[in-house]
Amino acid sequence: MKTLVFIQIRDDKIEENTLGILNKIKTTIKGAEIIGALLGKDLKDEWIQELGLHGVQQVVTVTSPELEVYLSATYTKVMMEIINQVNPRFVVAAGTVYGEDLIPRLAVRSNTSCAQRFVDFMVEGDNIHFHTPVRDDQAMKITQVVGDIAFATSRPGAFFVDENPSGTNPEVTSVSVTFDDADRLVKHIEIKKAERTVNLKDAKVIVAAGRGVAGKENFQIIRELADLLGGQIGATRACTDVHWVEETYEIGQTGQSVSPDLYIAAGISGAPQHMSGVKAKTLIVINTDEGAPIINYADYAIIGDMHTILPILKEKLK
Amino acid sequence: MKIVVFIQQIVSTQVKLQGVDYFDASRVSDDDLVINPTGKNAIEGALKLKDSQGAEVTAVCVRGIKPNKALKEAIAMGCTNAIEIADEAFYTDDPYLLSKIYAKALDKIGDYDLILLGVEEQSSSSYAAPAMLAEMLNIPSVLTAEEMEIIDSGFRIGHVLEGGKKIVEVPQKALVSCSDSQYFIPRYTTMRGILAAKKAVIPVWSAADLGLETSEVNADAASLKQISLTNIVIEKETFLINEGEPEEMVDKLLAKLKEDEIKLGA
Repeated sequence: MKTLVFIQIRDDKIEENTLGILNKIKTTIKGAEIIGALLGKDLKDEWIQELGLHGVQQVVTVTSPELEVYLSATYTKVMMEIINQVNPRFVVAAGTVYGEDLIPRLAVRSNTSCAQRFVDFMVEGDNIHFHTPVRDDQAMKITQVVGDIAFATSRPGAFFVDENPSGTNPEVTSVSVTFDDADRLVKHIEIKKAERTVNLKDAKVIVAAGRGVAGKENFQIIRELADLLGGQIGATRACTDVHWVEETYEIGQTGQSVSPDLYIAAGISGAPQHMSGVKAKTLIVINTDEGAPIINYADYAIIGDMHTILPILKEKLK
Repeated sequence: MKIVVFIQQIVSTQVKLQGVDYFDASRVSDDDLVINPTGKNAIEGALKLKDSQGAEVTAVCVRGIKPNKALKEAIAMGCTNAIEIADEAFYTDDPYLLSKIYAKALDKIGDYDLILLGVEEQSSSSYAAPAMLAEMLNIPSVLTAEEMEIIDSGFRIGHVLEGGKKIVEVPQKALVSCSDSQYFIPRYTTMRGILAAKKAVIPVWSAADLGLETSEVNADAASLKQISLTNIVIEKETFLINEGEPEEMVDKLLAKLKEDEIKLGA
């Protein structure tokens, strides 16, 4: 099955979820012919080698100064050109902000729909069945895109990267595309990179808060508890968005990924965007809402107000 | 400025699935029917522009058991008009068909400067409609916006990005999908709004009114087919403490952690 993967680069490296998808394709689609689409201003040989190592047999490269930053119009145009040349059966991207922007557009231009945020897929004959959790992970929906070409995005964090990849150097071809004014209607101004001054990746204990913390001053108790336990603090994007806490502490799809022994989540509802960044051995939840999705992930949960519970917990632990 | 906001009505995800009867509409009370949360964020985005620039904000709802209720709420929040689009034939679980209906609705509405939608329809975890609609309309778009401001040439928008935020500018006549950032936190309904909503007569447009053949938008026309839908049974056992005084709850937690030999601390 000819499979075209949109290769995403972040911080000068191949983005992890993209490598995860490659691993999933390799292990699920027998005899998959994996083609990677690599777009950018300057492309590095080491990326191409790494793609080969992870099972990509052919890399289609497109370079242009206009591809330095992802923009819907330019990237969609280039990807359509590649699709027309390669004629894949399956087109897939990691469901990052860019992946989720791109895939539905490609689908529309191919007069079809797309499957979204799959956590698994299976090949059934010539079809692919996509498994997508819905309703805050209460149900699993299995879908299929009918027609000659199937488009889909994966849920970030769904697949592991192959730790011992053993592929060989891929064939490299290139495609050239020209752009016109119609492709430049959305103007890129800047990317404000979040400062990552604190690395949470190796933290053994994290005390994290979500929107339920309800104010900058209330992060004090989060910090105190984290200090007492010899851990770090963490937060959801809702908290860093309003500057209740420095953006370096953001955990989740758009923040840092963590894997502590202990994760205490206070006032966090448990949206997939946050949970995709959390792999904790033990998860303790404090939340007023017993119906919050995070309760499903919890090992221990207190249904109560974090503003009352945390000070008591701190006193008892002293 | 003319703004069109597409909202969807969902069964609140607070309502837990109970086997296959879940989709039985009779089990769902009116209180359980809510506007998709980010759809509400989109309404807020439109109303912020209405407050600062003056704008005619039209809320449109296609999906839902009782779309009229969602639209009345939109008016109670401050939207100027509302349109319900309903037809028994519609199959809206496919974002491609949903976007097609949206596009036809816009044809009938006519003039607009800005289209706002929520980032996702939470109950089906469907996020694709905004990008699909922008593509069908062939207009510039920005997805997962966190903040927006008016500038001379259109809008300057900050949107979610892994590891930060991206700032872009788009001309007017654009489509923007709104996230649940602080900027888009929805306002409450007002007494004046509630009165306006009570009086409002909301037109209902059918597939035929939009110039659509039912065969173009029914389940047979879907290119995203549902094969199955099953409850996810979580095997993880949660030690749940949901009664007692706060201090008792904490004691209970600490005792259980000790029993399970879970060490608190690094």
